[in-house]
Amino acid sequence: MTSRRTISFTLNGEQVSAQISAHHSLLEVVRDDFNLYGARESCGQGLCGCCTLIVDGRAVSGCLYLAAFADGAVVETIEHLDRDNLLDPVQEAFIEEGAFQCGFCTPGFVLMVKQLLDEHPDPDDDRIRDYLSGNLCRCAAYPEIIQAVKSAARKRQPGKTA
Amino acid sequence: MPTATLTTGLSGGQVGRSLPRLEAREKVTGRAEYTHNLRLPGMLYGKVFRSTVGHGRIKSIDTGAAKAVPGVYQVVTAQDVIKVIPHPYYGPAFHDQPILAIGKVHYVGEPVAVVLAEDPHVAEAAAALIVAEYEELPAVYDEVEAAQNRILVHDELKPAGTFADLKHLKGAKGTNIALDYQLRKGDVDKAFSEAAHVFEHEFRTQKVLHLAFEPFVSIADYKSNRLTLYTASQGPSFVRIEIARLLGWPENRVRIKVPFLGGGYGGKLYIKLEAMVTALSMIAKRPVKVSLPMEEVFYTISRHPMTFRIKSGVDRDGRITARRCEVFWNGGAYADIGPRVAQKSGFTASGPYDIENVSIDSYALYTNQPPAGALRGFGVPQLVWAYESHTDMMARALKMDPLEFRRRNIMREGGKHTTGTPLKDAPVEKVLEHVAARMNWSKPLDRGNGVIRRGRGLAIAIKAVISPTTSVAIVNVNADGSTTLYCGTIDMGQGSDTAMAQMVGEILNVPAESVNVVPRDTDVTPYDMGTLGSRSLFHMGHAVKLAAEEARDKIAALARDLGLPEGTNYSIADLFQKKYGMQAGNIVGTGIFKPDYVPPQPGTGLTPKVTPFWMVSGVGAEVEVDTETGHVRITRLLNVCEIGKPINPKICESQISGAATMQLGFTMFEKMHFDGGQVTNASLADYKIPGIHDLPVTFENETIDAYQSNGPFGGKGVGEVATFCVSPAIGNAIDDAIGVRLTELPLNPEAVLRALRAKQNRPIEDA
Amino acid sequence: MTPFELAEPATVEDALRLLDPQDSSVRPLGGGTALMLMMKAGVFRPTRLVSLRKIAALSRIIATPDGGLVIGALTPLGDVERSAEVARRAGVIVRTMRRLSNVRVRNVATIGGCLAHGDPHMDLPPVLMALDAEIRVAGRAGERALKVENLYAGYYETALNRDEIITELHIPSQGARSAAYLKCTTGSADDWPALGVAVSFEADGNAIRAPRVVVSAATEKATRLKGAEATLSGAAVDDALLARAGDAAAAEAETISDVRGSAPYKRELVRVYVRRAVRQAFDGELKGAAH
Repeated sequence: MTSRRTISFTLNGEQVSAQISAHHSLLEVVRDDFNLYGARESCGQGLCGCCTLIVDGRAVSGCLYLAAFADGAVVETIEHLDRDNLLDPVQEAFIEEGAFQCGFCTPGFVLMVKQLLDEHPDPDDDRIRDYLSGNLCRCAAYPEIIQAVKSAARKRQPGKTA
Repeated sequence: MPTATLTTGLSGGQVGRSLPRLEAREKVTGRAEYTHNLRLPGMLYGKVFRSTVGHGRIKSIDTGAAKAVPGVYQVVTAQDVIKVIPHPYYGPAFHDQPILAIGKVHYVGEPVAVVLAEDPHVAEAAAALIVAEYEELPAVYDEVEAAQNRILVHDELKPAGTFADLKHLKGAKGTNIALDYQLRKGDVDKAFSEAAHVFEHEFRTQKVLHLAFEPFVSIADYKSNRLTLYTASQGPSFVRIEIARLLGWPENRVRIKVPFLGGGYGGKLYIKLEAMVTALSMIAKRPVKVSLPMEEVFYTISRHPMTFRIKSGVDRDGRITARRCEVFWNGGAYADIGPRVAQKSGFTASGPYDIENVSIDSYALYTNQPPAGALRGFGVPQLVWAYESHTDMMARALKMDPLEFRRRNIMREGGKHTTGTPLKDAPVEKVLEHVAARMNWSKPLDRGNGVIRRGRGLAIAIKAVISPTTSVAIVNVNADGSTTLYCGTIDMGQGSDTAMAQMVGEILNVPAESVNVVPRDTDVTPYDMGTLGSRSLFHMGHAVKLAAEEARDKIAALARDLGLPEGTNYSIADLFQKKYGMQAGNIVGTGIFKPDYVPPQPGTGLTPKVTPFWMVSGVGAEVEVDTETGHVRITRLLNVCEIGKPINPKICESQISGAATMQLGFTMFEKMHFDGGQVTNASLADYKIPGIHDLPVTFENETIDAYQSNGPFGGKGVGEVATFCVSPAIGNAIDDAIGVRLTELPLNPEAVLRALRAKQNRPIEDA
Repeated sequence: MTPFELAEPATVEDALRLLDPQDSSVRPLGGGTALMLMMKAGVFRPTRLVSLRKIAALSRIIATPDGGLVIGALTPLGDVERSAEVARRAGVIVRTMRRLSNVRVRNVATIGGCLAHGDPHMDLPPVLMALDAEIRVAGRAGERALKVENLYAGYYETALNRDEIITELHIPSQGARSAAYLKCTTGSADDWPALGVAVSFEADGNAIRAPRVVVSAATEKATRLKGAEATLSGAAVDDALLARAGDAAAAEAETISDVRGSAPYKRELVRVYVRRAVRQAFDGELKGAAH
């Protein structure tokens, strides 16, 4: 029951371990120990989505996720998407639609959109908005983001009409 | 291989392209650099301890328990700061803001001490153990009350001289008024006495803030004769000048480095954390990073709340003959750029209306609220809320169509603005008619007769870009023909890097994507006044264009020197090869741009050259009001902006919709709540900003066909123009729907329902 | 955040041994989202957190033979949202989840953690109260059952002792009942609610039987409005009845003022939203929609 411990987990496809204290968030570990800066702490309350990480296949708010809980888990960050130097269709769509401005919230949106399309390959407007209601963009690139979701859906399912 | 054609007149084909932002790949892969990410070897984290009192004398600061926490490196107060920076006050208009509170605190949240530690959790835990005792003094929070000068925020005002147009400020005592801008044209009193109708109203706006998602963050790395600051700032040149002044050093020993900003919107200007981390690094002799959590952003900088008393005289034909404006700006405890807001936006307070007799008094006030500064729109959205609501109220009282009333009174192209400056490329009429046509204004609207009532409203406004300001750019052509651009404009999401690259590409006939826009570094990138107030596309754009033209001309001259005939296609690499015998050398072009300006006459506020360009926009709004709950649904929001010729149309469109959405938040629900001087909703949980569900049902963002005749490639700024008219268009639409006039923002459901029920004579009990 | 001990017991018994009835700085931990918020804000400084995540038996969804549901306390909200059994037997929960907090929170927050937190703004407690749900609570003295409607004692206060853990949620068969939950936000669209109204009843032709009406967010705790229920009970549904029910609810609900609205304004919201929630549940029923 000690406070300091070693956790071992899969990070972007690799087995890794880290020395953590109980009060460290997974976000801190990913950034400070592994230099992955795509996930960021902004609101600190899980409301903005800038800290989005994927744990065991599900999106979580990294700033509210105890690092200790990642022990034995599979963790993925935004950096995992272009591991082969190829952009994910969601990333391509974001670029084509100009679905970002300052870019600070963008990795969180990309990961959430990917999850959305994994669960709902052909989402309607209501589904898109409901699913992305937990991602905020102060630059307010929402209209472009909605277009990017639709474009990415088409890219992922060639041959199907939008 | 980039080529040069030695005849002029060929277009590079880059301006007008909607190409994706140059840094798009970095941003969607999470690899874009932000100061937020930066760590330096040996770095300490600073956690700020803040005042809990709105106005008070500091009796004691007990840091003993904090110092004793294992892992704490040092606890710093003003006494320590004064040892390294003897006069530690900064600010663009007044040198009034201390790095850490000295003797007194002036607002709740003011920095009083800082804990330094290698582990930010340790610093935070230790800061919670600091105990400060204050002798509380009377505090003033309201701007109108502050103007009465009964409770004084500062004992003495300390003017700076940094900006040319604020030099005339004289230090004063016994007052909270940091600036009193006056405009006098004609004789308003006489005109009021002769008017057929006189209307007098008061409007107020609330305190809101930027909330850039990358919170304020700065790192200082002090060496005995060099200081490097890594900071999220929109104005590195100003930071360099101000920090050098604080240190008593020449500018060239201070280096400011700025990567991308995770949002700015005017908040990351002048000095925020830069002076603090500088002092901390000097004291600790190690690099120091202060990175604010979202809560502390609320204690750093926000937008000016405003009270605007507006009085207009109207003749029998519905022409406004006189207007008096009294505007009170709540600047908070430190002036920041408030005086400029009071002056530069103050002179547009009477609106885009052709009025013969005008009197404007615009006061920048000190209060004990957290400081207010520049926020996208720079005071104009608040003014427009007032004058465009006032316009509709007059129209309805006169039983005139709000559109017709505006048509009768707006300024026209070729005429003169209230200041006396000619209106060129300010097509107020064209924008208004475009809004009216697209809203089908002449067709009746079915307002409904059930629980849901519909209404529509419109508004029109004008803003002048800040003047005078200076921008410098350098274009470097390398020996292989590749190009590098050095300019100090900060890309905070508005696509400035891309736009500037497009302009370089246009002149040098290369693809914009091939231009390397060097990361901002004041050791490398030359002077720029700042990325603010929609100025960069025009001012830096001119400088960039001039620099590229000089480079192009030098290339042509080199070709002639080497004896190459006109009209031949030669690769630039070949030119260098011929000149130097190998791949070597550079061709450098420099551009400096400062527009003409004539300062306003003291007393009258009049000038023939107040600005090099105007921004004009209009909004049409359709709403549905739930008359049982007060909820307002924006069914249609149409933004029409005149932005000259867009350099990158797609980016311009997203700037317009983004600005309008931000202002929508300020209109409908954003508000900083206070208990006395204490902010009570300092978090995203309780201060709500627009999310994806808050967009208008139909959201249209358009520009009209235009060309800024004195702009680079016909272009001008777009960052703010869509903020101006959103609030009053919606307020006017609500009035149209349910016959209720709200004079304060935000227009939340409770405010709407209370007003409606009061009108129906079944008021809701007081809170 | 300040350092603390993190314990990860494998059984409920082990977990109970780690809790201390006298020590408010020791708490059980589900997904941790709510407690992390409080710790980061500095309003809760734990000495020890007892994570229940490794107790496998606590995460499950069972459709019972009598038509009800048993949901383990450590089941993430997202699993409940995606469950076909929950959609069939208590569809109002799935509909409510779609706008409950956000997807990331739902992936981590647990049923038990949500119920034990006591935040009156949450969407789920009033819905579960309307469904007449019950929890099982494990303590050192054994297990007890507690109706969700009796779980909340006050603002952020539950009827749980410090050394007790919620283990299960039981939702009785809803039979032919229909239900609806309406959330009213007054800030941005996705704000915490200023008011939540959950209703459930059996429609017998045009009449309402055995109604349950619950308000939350506007009151210090989620509260059944028995006066409004009495007004509805046995009555035929028409606009006049709904108006009377709304008025009864508004008179009964003790609303509180906060940044989302004043108490008098929230009273008006209660009046309107109780009426609309009953209408929505009733019309949904008429259209053949499931509860």
